[in-house]
Amino acid sequence: MSTSSIDDKDITRELWQSRLPICFILSDEDMSKVNRSESPEPLYLMLSRHSYFPCIIEKIFRYYSTYYKGNLNDQTNSINLNNLWLEYESIPLKWHYPIGLLYDLYTSSLSSSSSVSHLPWQIIVHLSKFPENELIRFPDIESIEAHYMTTLKEADALKHKGQIIGDMQKRDHKQLWNSLLQDKYEAFWNINIKLMSYTDNLQYFRYIPFRIYILDKPFMQKLFSPYDIEQNKWMTLYDLLQYTLNHEVQCEKLANEKKILNNNIENYRVIIHGVQPPLHSPIQWLSEYFSYPDNFLHICLIENQMR
Amino acid sequence: MSTVEDDGDTNSLRFGPSNDSEGGSKVVFLLKAAGGAPILKKKKWALPRTKTIGHIVEFLKKYMHLDTQQQQQLFLYVNQAFSPALDTTIGSVNDCFSSEGTLVLHYALTEAWG
Repeated sequence: MSTSSIDDKDITRELWQSRLPICFILSDEDMSKVNRSESPEPLYLMLSRHSYFPCIIEKIFRYYSTYYKGNLNDQTNSINLNNLWLEYESIPLKWHYPIGLLYDLYTSSLSSSSSVSHLPWQIIVHLSKFPENELIRFPDIESIEAHYMTTLKEADALKHKGQIIGDMQKRDHKQLWNSLLQDKYEAFWNINIKLMSYTDNLQYFRYIPFRIYILDKPFMQKLFSPYDIEQNKWMTLYDLLQYTLNHEVQCEKLANEKKILNNNIENYRVIIHGVQPPLHSPIQWLSEYFSYPDNFLHICLIENQMR
Repeated sequence: MSTVEDDGDTNSLRFGPSNDSEGGSKVVFLLKAAGGAPILKKKKWALPRTKTIGHIVEFLKKYMHLDTQQQQQLFLYVNQAFSPALDTTIGSVNDCFSSEGTLVLHYALTEAWG
């Protein structure tokens, strides 16, 4: 959208600066294997909503591993970085989802009352019994960087048929990732702004990169254009949600699924970056200013509790 | 993947054109070798929409007898450009990236387009 004002840019800076206070608590099981006289205190960290847990996993491991000095080399103990995993309310947390997305999806969905504050976010740290069947092992920085880059490429494939990211130098790709790691807003947006431009004589993105998350379901992603040429109008967040939910319901019916998704938007709270944007927001605008650093809009749909 | 059927099997076509934008029951996709990976005799596959990329990767590793001890990896690519996350459903990949009714996935043993 060509009407970019100073206010719009401020929003990207606000989002970049948003943090979550997180309290990491060692699991009871691993607590029992500690070989120092005092039990580990919880570890408190303020983390960027748009960052990923693998970016700080070494810090967590270093903190807790000091309590196991002496038996780190003991094979039977299995206390090592590779076996570290995080859990919230019995749910193993996926490494490749941005921290803010995990928070919005799980704390909103699992609360009995929306007025209860979930801060600091209490996460259990496990150092053993990695849940092989539920979680993919790749907590190291190189893997998460590879994941970030491939997601960015997918977003550009949708927006610009991959032309812009394809034309970028390798050092620009590196700058995006490094500024994300080092929390450098200006350095990030110097490059990211190129990914927000238009190609092919369009005044908008070809398709919007978005994913919709509902608890206990795989995420939904569809092709959706931000502008309706025939009706000459900008599509809104509401239009995108309605299209996605309707399409998903059709697929479920064709597959004879027993449980069909509720496609009434009124049934959900719509959360992006911890806030509920107005449903009439133009989706092109949201894609340019409200996407995560991976250029995707990660949208949580939280079912309203039945009273 | 016990649900994968050969293109000669009528089951995969029972629910109508699978790559129809209104969402047929099964997604049909072509697997193409890249980066020197072994070529599969069977190139056309069909899976329910809800199966994930991770599921396909695990199946192919066994099907191709990849060495799990050596931790041999398999990479799947879309548009010869990016690797969808392992928890992405094949239905989503199909909805977004099939071309003229066909979804093509490239597989490699090394990072061909990393």
